[in-house]
Amino acid sequence: MKIKKILQILDAISFGYKSAFLLFIIIGGMISIVVLSQISTYTIKNDFDLLFEKRTKSIIRLEAIKDTYIININETLNDMRKGLINSVQGQEVVALAQQLIRKNWSTYLNIIDTEKYQISWINIMIKKFFIIEEQTPNILLQQSIIHNIKAKKKKIQSLLNQIFNPYIHTDNHASLIEEVNYEIDALSIYITSLTNYDLSMTIQEKRDTDKIFDMLSLILNISIVLVFIFSVLLSTFIIINFKKLHFALQGDVLEKTKALQRLNASLETKIKKEVENSRRKDTLMFQQARLASMGEMIANIAHQWRQPLGSMMMIIQGVQSKMELGKLTPEMINEKVIDTLRLAENMSDTLENFQNFFKPTKAKESFTLKSCIEHAFTLSKYILEQHKINVSIKISESIKLHTYYNELSHVFLNIIANAEDALSLTKGEKFIEIVAKEVNDKIYIYITDNGGGIKADVLLHIFEPYFTTKYKSKGTGLGLYMSQQIIEKHMQGTIRCKNVCYTINKTKYEHCTLFTIILPHTQSDKNDT
Amino acid sequence: MIHRNINILHDFNILYLEDDVELLKHTKDVLDDFMHEVYGVYTSEEAMQVLENEHVDVIISDILLKDENGIDFLKKLKQSDYAEIPTVLITAHTESAYLLEAIKLKVENYIVKPINLKELLNTIHDIVLPINQRREAQKSNNLIKIISEVSDGKQIEVIKYIMSNLNESDEIRTSYSEIMSHIDISKPTLVKLFKKLAENNILTNESHKIYKFHQESLDSL
Repeated sequence: MKIKKILQILDAISFGYKSAFLLFIIIGGMISIVVLSQISTYTIKNDFDLLFEKRTKSIIRLEAIKDTYIININETLNDMRKGLINSVQGQEVVALAQQLIRKNWSTYLNIIDTEKYQISWINIMIKKFFIIEEQTPNILLQQSIIHNIKAKKKKIQSLLNQIFNPYIHTDNHASLIEEVNYEIDALSIYITSLTNYDLSMTIQEKRDTDKIFDMLSLILNISIVLVFIFSVLLSTFIIINFKKLHFALQGDVLEKTKALQRLNASLETKIKKEVENSRRKDTLMFQQARLASMGEMIANIAHQWRQPLGSMMMIIQGVQSKMELGKLTPEMINEKVIDTLRLAENMSDTLENFQNFFKPTKAKESFTLKSCIEHAFTLSKYILEQHKINVSIKISESIKLHTYYNELSHVFLNIIANAEDALSLTKGEKFIEIVAKEVNDKIYIYITDNGGGIKADVLLHIFEPYFTTKYKSKGTGLGLYMSQQIIEKHMQGTIRCKNVCYTINKTKYEHCTLFTIILPHTQSDKNDT
Repeated sequence: MIHRNINILHDFNILYLEDDVELLKHTKDVLDDFMHEVYGVYTSEEAMQVLENEHVDVIISDILLKDENGIDFLKKLKQSDYAEIPTVLITAHTESAYLLEAIKLKVENYIVKPINLKELLNTIHDIVLPINQRREAQKSNNLIKIISEVSDGKQIEVIKYIMSNLNESDEIRTSYSEIMSHIDISKPTLVKLFKKLAENNILTNESHKIYKFHQESLDSL
């Protein structure tokens, strides 16, 4: 249960804290492991050094001293007693042995007292922390033993001096030697005890070392295990977190992808719809423009029909009144019929003219530019005459086109209508002049009127659909837009408009409007197939 | 509708200004049968020439002329010596904008194209009728004056007195003595006159001292 709780708590920690925690544990664990291993290595080395330098070396010295006493001095004395060697020889050997002993002893003392081979403070600290039952080394015992050894040494020294003193000639040479032997035995016992002391110290130190080692290993192992467990746990959690995150993100991405796909699909349909809409709008506009121009044409027909119709009505009424008055003669009827027929024919011609205009001829045809423009002017003849507008057409018969006749005459009609509207408001002489020329496979058509020009802010918009400066009843705002569409889209030409200063019949007109239409000449056959 | 006596047109001259050759020709052709003289012209210039040389009673003009418009011609006309000549404008429906100006220029009437012959004749008739009546009145006046000069004037004076004292219902309240106090006439003559008038049913005695004049009896004479 507790573990579960801990796990839950761990799991509940936020992702950032978890990773930070993991990092902390790994780094902390590493550092502690490194530190502990360093410490243990150091401790072991220290102990080893101590053991070797202080204990082993001292034991060796002590053994050397003991051996020297027992073998060199004791044996030499025994040999002297047996008379195997003379006293001079014995004295030399003993002096040599004593010299060795002195040297070894001083070395031993030096080893014991030296600061170099003390227990390091780290070891002391560790011992303080980990070893409760501190066994303080029995310095007093060591000191007393050393003291006894020193005393015995002096005694042996003095005894030896007595033996080898040539001036003191005693008979109890043998007893003296005996005494020396005895003293040497005692000394060797002391040395052995000192050796034992050192050994016991060594054993104790070894125990301490073992304890420290065990303790450190335990701590090290525990910390390793802990670090391992925590690392594994946290890694697991983090991985689980990652997995969760991954799945959540995957879900999100899938959802978003689906949403995007849906959006894409809806956009596609929307675009389709919009395209269709705009196409429909275009068609509608074309129809509107067509209707508008049809309206204009019908108005033109009405204008052109009004006069002959009026005359014909008068003729009919005249016949009736003449008959009532009894003045009707066959000649008169003949004359009236001829007049009426002429008028009717005139009307029929007019109708034919316009009928051609309305005919939806889809195919391209060959015609001269002049005929097309003249036709357009014929159709708007009435209004031109009404406003007394002079028209001059300066076009060579040789310019031929192969394109949509009706659409082109539409364009001219629109431009003429535009000029008419402007000219109807101007006073004085009014003119429309059309000049065309052919340069490098291109046909340039210039249509100029002195209707006062177009205002700069209006000029920018004249080719825009539904843009009109006229009253709603008069203009649809589609005429010039349609003209541009026809010229640019159907005939791959260009149409432009600007205000110019124009001279006609040696009179300079400041404010004129110039429409320039450029049509490709050879292109027209390309799209035919 | 008032019955119009189109025949009175035969005494009048008309100036017809129209730029449409065909229409002018045929309209003139028809009008010739009804009018005394029809001067058909195409331009205002010609019109002015005709006015200078001929006697014109009525001017009819189209509003839209070849190089000018009828309104301008009217303006010129109204400032000239011929301002008194009545004018009729002929318009198309589309030229209604000019009508306001035409009214300001005191045009007598207007006709909408296409021209209806009867309407045209009636319009002319209505315009010339007052002129005709004025002429007729002048003529009668002259006639009476001449008659009173060449014959016994007393009886005519009595009739004059009666006619000038008729009230709204064509009645006169008078007596022989009253008439005699105004006009120096013998009673037998007066009685004879009244008797003759009563016989012809021109002036009848309705009641005491009240006489009624009968226009219709006079018209049927």
